[in-house]
Amino acid sequence: MLNDISLGRYVETGSVLHKTDPRIKVILYIVYLVTIFVVNSPAALIALALLTLVQLVTAKIPVKVTLSTLKPIIPLTLFIFLLNLFTLKQGQMIWQWRFLTVTDYGVQRAVLMSLRILFLILCTSVLLTLTTTPLKISDALESLMAPLKVIHVPVHEMSMMMSIALRFIPTLIEETDKIMKAQVSRGADYDTGTFINRVKGYITVLIPLFVSSFKRAEDLAVAMDARCYRGGEGRTKLNPLKISGRDIAVLIVFLAGAGMLIAVEFLYGK
Amino acid sequence: MAVGISVRNVDFTYKTDEGESTSIKALDGISLEVETGSYCAVLGPNGSGKSTLAKVIDVLELPDSGTVVVLGHEARDDSTCYNIRQKCAYVFQNPDNQIVGTIVEEDVAFGPENLGVPLPELRQRVDEALKYVGLYELRGRQAASLSGGQKQKLAIAGALAMHPEVLILDESTAMLDPISRDEFLDLVEQLQKDKGITVITITHDMNEAARCEKIFVVEHGKVTMSGTPAQIFADPDKVIKAGLELPPDISLVNEMAKATGSKITRDDIKDKKSRIEAAVRFAKNAKEVPAMDLSGHREKGEKILEVKDLSFSYDDGKSFAIEHINLDVYEGEILAIVGKSGCGKTTLISHLNGIIRPQSGDVRVISDNEILTTKKKKDITRIRQKVGLVFQYPEYQLFEETVEKDIAYGLIKMNTPGVNREGRVKAAALLSGLPEELLTRSPFELSGGQKRRAALAGVLVMKPKILVLDEPAAGLDPVGRREMFDTILALRETGTTIVLVSHNMDEAARYADRIYCIKDGREAACGAPSELFENEGKAKSYGLSLPLLYKFSSKVKQTLAKDYPGIDVMPPYPDARNEAASIIRSVMKC
Repeated sequence: MLNDISLGRYVETGSVLHKTDPRIKVILYIVYLVTIFVVNSPAALIALALLTLVQLVTAKIPVKVTLSTLKPIIPLTLFIFLLNLFTLKQGQMIWQWRFLTVTDYGVQRAVLMSLRILFLILCTSVLLTLTTTPLKISDALESLMAPLKVIHVPVHEMSMMMSIALRFIPTLIEETDKIMKAQVSRGADYDTGTFINRVKGYITVLIPLFVSSFKRAEDLAVAMDARCYRGGEGRTKLNPLKISGRDIAVLIVFLAGAGMLIAVEFLYGK
Repeated sequence: MAVGISVRNVDFTYKTDEGESTSIKALDGISLEVETGSYCAVLGPNGSGKSTLAKVIDVLELPDSGTVVVLGHEARDDSTCYNIRQKCAYVFQNPDNQIVGTIVEEDVAFGPENLGVPLPELRQRVDEALKYVGLYELRGRQAASLSGGQKQKLAIAGALAMHPEVLILDESTAMLDPISRDEFLDLVEQLQKDKGITVITITHDMNEAARCEKIFVVEHGKVTMSGTPAQIFADPDKVIKAGLELPPDISLVNEMAKATGSKITRDDIKDKKSRIEAAVRFAKNAKEVPAMDLSGHREKGEKILEVKDLSFSYDDGKSFAIEHINLDVYEGEILAIVGKSGCGKTTLISHLNGIIRPQSGDVRVISDNEILTTKKKKDITRIRQKVGLVFQYPEYQLFEETVEKDIAYGLIKMNTPGVNREGRVKAAALLSGLPEELLTRSPFELSGGQKRRAALAGVLVMKPKILVLDEPAAGLDPVGRREMFDTILALRETGTTIVLVSHNMDEAARYADRIYCIKDGREAACGAPSELFENEGKAKSYGLSLPLLYKFSSKVKQTLAKDYPGIDVMPPYPDARNEAASIIRSVMKC
């Protein structure tokens, strides 16, 4: 029942982007995040779309995976689209029916906002989740935030917590599916009925899921103890992060892409 | 040989927040010594303190009193614990709850990384460990995508990469199918021989224990018996009293000894060869014709459920989880569905009450002169009332405040008017063997076995005509397993038809009237246990391993056939007593 969730899933294709140092990818991700929110004009949006396409091709992500990444956020995108479409009252009115009005500005914003969400998800997937294992992402964050240790931020612990949370996503999805099936065979129904009843129905999944998650957490803590885990002090790494020439090249190329987007925005925007 | 692990007069109590009254004394002055490089088993019923013992040895818990010395290090406080943990690797029961790394090789590296092993030695250790367990090719895969057996091998690799001297297996094989289990044990035994690693295995599987050099039986936090498997199992009464059982082969030898009025000795059962010799000797010495109990046999009822040409694919037809399955279930029978992990058993049983709707083919339930089909949406609710489905580890589905409410959940959901709810709940609890006084308790306060019964009652409350059970006895101790199957037999007596999925061939042969075997999603065979398990070659061609009892008894019969060329070889009986009687009878006829 929950098989088609691919948000946060890693897909190995062995592309250049997969091999790039995760710290570079995290930096690029932040750059692109800012860029996506700076970009406004149609020309720049088209350029952004092209650039995203180039990223997807570089990462060798199959079309099917891309689509399944976008699928779960379609309702949200649609919601944001409609919200912008009907609530913005500025600009020229182009359509009216009873209390609903649509303005040209509203259309523009609605398109822009929903595109931003889509690009945001694609960018997160292609630069981070699809091409970088959770452990590498947390390694990168740990390394990038290392200076914060001076002010006693538990950087290692935070990254360990994050990577474990990510590691257990597939396990918990599988478990949720199992519990739902068991409850359905006892007569539970998650697809029909009023909204309130459906939400109530999920209690029959959430409680067992919480209970077993606590058990898992306890087991895992003991297992980590047994494998001599005692914090970040003195730990070595199987795959230590190392910046190579190719990583620098990737950084320059992608930064240039982001720079170009901003240039297009300022040349053609407004 | 030198003593590697010594535990002396150790007490350990699990303290709870509510004070003395609720704390549980897990170890009560336990003492034992394990020799370096030996292979030993710790047996005992659930809750006897076995796991706590293992945790105390690995200093995952510090003893309240007494001493633990492991490889010359004494466990005193948190500062010394890493000296021991580094040398003691621990593999737990649940494969999922001990994997830290997302990718296979990252997980193997976790231990040595913690020890501060530098590169390139770290890489070398990881690769070596992965090669040793046979997962090197999968090193880049997601750990979550491995099968259960592979996950446990991964746990071993993670342990090996730390270069341990002691390996503790805490019911590590409990969740594996028999083939993965054998592979896992072979690997462990290889390790013990190659690297001289001391292995301590905690298990409920008597056959596994019989493979060890030494057995410790733990009851109520104390060691009550210790010795070689032959020493322990030569006293069947004591073994049964301790909540354990005999391994299938020794059980047959014992039954043959009983039938001839004698008793087994240590020498009779000290190894495989002597067990066969002893069985042959008892068969020859028999004077009386032993009685047989054939009350279990019954006539076939009417067809109650049929699966017609059922196929199902999880990936739009690229590959099929099950393909062209045809299966009839008859009223009042016990049908076992068997096959390797991942062969499609769970997919098939999920179809039986419409949890999965057929993509092609049909599932029909025939009852009270009408035919319901899972193809029709309007039939589904009624099918779910008639076909109860209990998944593996059903205790994970409990959620209500009280056991009573949890059991009643299905009744409320299925909206059956005019039913005495309270009466039905009580009846269901009784059928599943749950004491009535537990009904008002929270399901989360119950013991593991009680939780499972509560979950079973939650399905029985609908009074299903057909009860489908996926591995109902998984993870239970020998007494728990026996009680669970007694419950199932009692349910059958009340007229419920039983379909059960099992990994344990001895149990499938013993309790099922018919066995349906799936191999790679297709029907491999269907018939009486004695047909499917007629000989090893036949069973293998279906992808099955022979029940251990059959395997042993066929060797006994072969040896007998040499001495009595004219002997009538009867098809095997699935329980040791009848099989012993049958062998003796055929010898006496000659």
